[in-house]
Amino acid sequence: MSVLGQRLELLYLLVVKELKVRYKSRFFGYLWALANPFAFAFVYWIAFKFIMRVEMENYALYLITGMFPWFWLSAAVVQGTRCYVVNRSLVMKVTLPRAMLPLSNAVQEMAHFAFSLPVIIAFLMFAGGYELDPAWLWQIPVLIALQIAFIYPLALLFALINVYVRDMEYLVNLGFALLFFATPMIYPITMVPEDYRLYFELNPLYALMEAWRSSFLRGTLPWRHAAYIAAFAAIAGVASWLLYRRVAHKIADLL
Amino acid sequence: MTDAVVCEDLWKSYHFRRPVGLKTLLVGASMSRETRFARTWALSGVSFRVARGHAFGVVGYNGSGKSTLLSLLLGTVHSDRGKLEMRGRVAPLLEVGAGFHGDLTGRENVFLYGSILGMTIKEIRDCYERIAEFSELEDALENPVRTYSAGMIARLGFSINIHSPAEILLIDEVLAVGDARFQEKCRRFLRAFKARDGTLIVVSHNMVELASICDEGICLDMGHVIHAGSIQSVIEAYRRLVAAVEAGNHAQRAA
Repeated sequence: MSVLGQRLELLYLLVVKELKVRYKSRFFGYLWALANPFAFAFVYWIAFKFIMRVEMENYALYLITGMFPWFWLSAAVVQGTRCYVVNRSLVMKVTLPRAMLPLSNAVQEMAHFAFSLPVIIAFLMFAGGYELDPAWLWQIPVLIALQIAFIYPLALLFALINVYVRDMEYLVNLGFALLFFATPMIYPITMVPEDYRLYFELNPLYALMEAWRSSFLRGTLPWRHAAYIAAFAAIAGVASWLLYRRVAHKIADLL
Repeated sequence: MTDAVVCEDLWKSYHFRRPVGLKTLLVGASMSRETRFARTWALSGVSFRVARGHAFGVVGYNGSGKSTLLSLLLGTVHSDRGKLEMRGRVAPLLEVGAGFHGDLTGRENVFLYGSILGMTIKEIRDCYERIAEFSELEDALENPVRTYSAGMIARLGFSINIHSPAEILLIDEVLAVGDARFQEKCRRFLRAFKARDGTLIVVSHNMVELASICDEGICLDMGHVIHAGSIQSVIEAYRRLVAAVEAGNHAQRAA
């Protein structure tokens, strides 16, 4: 078997490890992986459909369809940033390919996102009256691939910086808390004053989240957003690869 | 006879590579003076060769550079100067339980750890029975590793490592935690491993064990090789060093 095949197996085992660790010792086990997103979406739906009635069509669905991809993104990048510091013994005492750690974080959070997909679709159908859209069959895999390509270099880059400057993990945490409000997540971009709208649209996270919402709510994948995400992922990919080549062999010295 | 490990004039310093906080970046760090545990060079000009099929012992005080040397041999840290060649696949036994996850069962950890060592899932499956048998953990393999004693974890780690296709084994004190019978079994295995042209590098404070397994070795002090030669002469050199340091301590206390 090729080296790549062996690495893929290792990635698989690392991801399965995390999922097992998180759910195995729970009484309801993997049911939580579904119950969690369901409970979350249900609370949002109740809150915004019946209590805080926002003057926007299908506001609860707008929230739900953006929120789950956002959880995946932020959880993967925040955990990825800490991956070397947290997995010290994997870095120091065994020879694990070091670029693997942030990737396993990204994939493991993707698995959680995959569990929330049926929840999102169920809410679209039963709360929004949507029908199953065959376009999702190709749009969702494309979006998942784009999001992995977006998360991985970003997490690798932050993880390498965090080895040198441990404040990075706090900055990333804070950054995502701020970006949550700076990215049109709980409000539509049309609510942003027209003079500032361009700056909001330049935010690659907006492109990513809007692409997800557009696919779920309108069944279209805006190519402009997809291309922008891909371009950003490519730049981050080159930057993280250059930094990784320079500092990967020094990681253990600093832990 | 061919060499499995070649070290020529290895130098290693951690001094210039410390993780920094934002504060240190802005204000700058203060210099500290040279001591046994905080010196500029962790290793200064270490050279040795180990022939294939031989066992090589490394002795020295805590902080003398033994673990740094093993990390260099494993490849988790890189030397600042010098040449290092490892001619063969390396398996590390540097820390009891490194690479294991407490919430996974013994069996699941065999697969994860085997994969970290570079084995394919098929290879692991093929030798799983032998790993289980050697470890003598029997039914305990289905329990989470966090319920294991240190000795049981060491058994499992040792069993996986020796069934990996490694040609060079690095061992750092990990045999000390097994019970006497298991230790004897390990010693028998290590002799057989040598007879098959496997190479061992052993760090230990147990001189009896070193004398029984190793052929040659080095004694390290403050990162320098103060003696190299047959294992008996290395142990002698270490005893002289211990005696000298004791005498020095007495002199200091008297003063």
